[in-house]
Amino acid sequence: MSILQGRKFTWDKGVMLLLVVTAIVGSFVTPYFATSSNLSFVIQDIAEIMLIALPMTFLIIAGEIDLSVASALSLVSSTIGILFRHGWPFGWAIVVGLIVGALCGALNGFLVTILGLQSLAVTIGTLALFRGLCFVLLGNQPVNKLPTSWTNLGYNSIPHTFLPYSFILLVIFGALAWVLLHYTRLGRWTFAVGINVEAAKFSGIPVRRLKFALFTVTGLMSGIAGVVYTLRFASASPDSASGYELGVIAAVLFGGVSIAGGIGTLWGVLAAVLELGVIRSVLQLIDVSANALLIVSGALLLISVAVPRAIEILRNRRELITP
Amino acid sequence: MRALVDRVTAIREVPVFIALVLVVVVTGIANPQFLSASGAQDIFLGVAVVATLAVGQSVIIVMRHVDLSVGSTAGFAAYLIGNESARNHGLIYCLLVALALGLAVGAVNGLLVAYLKLPSLVVTLGSMYVVRGIFNQIAAGNTINDSQAPKFLGFVGRNSIAHIPDLFIFAAILAFIVSLIMHSARSARDLYAMGSNPPASALVGIPVARRTFFAFLASGAVSGIAGAVLLSRFHSADANSGLGLELNVIAACVVGGVAIAGGVGTPYGALIGALLLQSITLALGALGVSQFWQQAVNGTLLISAISLDRYLSSRIKPTTIMRVSS
Repeated sequence: MSILQGRKFTWDKGVMLLLVVTAIVGSFVTPYFATSSNLSFVIQDIAEIMLIALPMTFLIIAGEIDLSVASALSLVSSTIGILFRHGWPFGWAIVVGLIVGALCGALNGFLVTILGLQSLAVTIGTLALFRGLCFVLLGNQPVNKLPTSWTNLGYNSIPHTFLPYSFILLVIFGALAWVLLHYTRLGRWTFAVGINVEAAKFSGIPVRRLKFALFTVTGLMSGIAGVVYTLRFASASPDSASGYELGVIAAVLFGGVSIAGGIGTLWGVLAAVLELGVIRSVLQLIDVSANALLIVSGALLLISVAVPRAIEILRNRRELITP
Repeated sequence: MRALVDRVTAIREVPVFIALVLVVVVTGIANPQFLSASGAQDIFLGVAVVATLAVGQSVIIVMRHVDLSVGSTAGFAAYLIGNESARNHGLIYCLLVALALGLAVGAVNGLLVAYLKLPSLVVTLGSMYVVRGIFNQIAAGNTINDSQAPKFLGFVGRNSIAHIPDLFIFAAILAFIVSLIMHSARSARDLYAMGSNPPASALVGIPVARRTFFAFLASGAVSGIAGAVLLSRFHSADANSGLGLELNVIAACVVGGVAIAGGVGTPYGALIGALLLQSITLALGALGVSQFWQQAVNGTLLISAISLDRYLSSRIKPTTIMRVSS
């Protein structure tokens, strides 16, 4: 108990607690949940969302948003597909795809930081643009016959384990993002910009360069998620991952990151993405329809913002009555 | 002062309208088929649902908020109308059910945004999921077809007056009425004040919470009604109805001069914005450009509109402040 005393209960800890509870309840409710094949499936299932949620956490903490991530993912996938169809070696197609992803992010960064446009509006525009370019590249025909030596990476497990290969990416990038956000100057800058952009400017933080870099990295990570997606489904199609953007943002916000900027932890986001994946898995295993998941994720998102605010309002009221 | 405000607001819609006329005329010259009665009908009919929703959304964006739940609500409302009609309920009853759904969603959004002071983006993202989830649970793979939908809605969806589809006339009348209210009613003018400077509007005594609540209620009501438009436009509804519509609606508003930063724009501007996006989509087809380019062009247009707006406002703003203060 002494550990808990003196520590403020915050939302991200609540999400972690919820994750543990869900996992325990899940393994009691259905014997299939805590199996290695199911856990492997859960990790594969959340990989793309998690990879994009990492840089999105930085962006939202810095007071910006990127709605074009799913379209960028799809554009990278389409680029890889079209290059491969034209006879490029698959490895080089991936390299070009990742460059395209970074360029997508850089375009957002340019529009927001150099032209000074609102990221919410701009990225709705690039969402349509990138998705549109997917159709320009591929038309209506997905590229399906990808080399199995590559697609096996999206399908098989790491030898001698039950973990999918995407797990390696999650660990590396998760750890990197965690260290960057909470233990480096760049992370402190991100928070400072989100709390008060004017004050950040006056204290010498290169706000524009920082935001430009964050957008570019978000594009690049969407590209990496695009590669994972392409390998996992062994297909590059123009309508990949449509609607994922709101899923990513919902997960980040559910993880306790404030949409107003300046507040959030990486642990909260990681736990939130995992929690949503675990809930989905448990609901599927006990044969509850996918619709319930929509309702649950929406309700969790609403609760995650409403409950802390309600507590805050009640606390303030009490202080007003008894000063 | 009043004339100045009118002039500045008038400016915002003028370039959009000119762009619309240009697109229509240039495409019409290149391909006369585009200007034919059926070409015009395609534009007007295609835009009806998004235009209706954009009128409601403009009221929200003016307050510097956003309502992402409109697509789910409209789709659900369309399904409910068909479902109730299939159970032999009358048209009025069906429409009231749709309106009630819209008001309920709007009330929940409004309560959370106005009184708990939660960010509208998060709240309406959440309610978008919840409404879609409940909708899919109820619809469960069923499809409402033309024979189940109320006969009147089916008729309205096919009928035109002077080659203008009824559904577009409805959206235009709605835009006209809401624009009139936004232009003249004091409570609606408050929304512009709240959008341009939220803290200041509270300080001058505007009941910000109440205004916000009723604006979300109105947006919900419009979404419910848009369900009827959706059902009569497509003559069918299923669990995917209205999916992803919210971003098209916001795009229409932004292109139509309703700035996402709040404080400026009109419902009829949003309607013109929706028309512009739709006519460009169809113009590409008429000009023989592959249909696959449509979305990319729309995205580019949206980005250009925002950039242009930013450029123009950076030039206009200083003079406006000077004139107002003098």
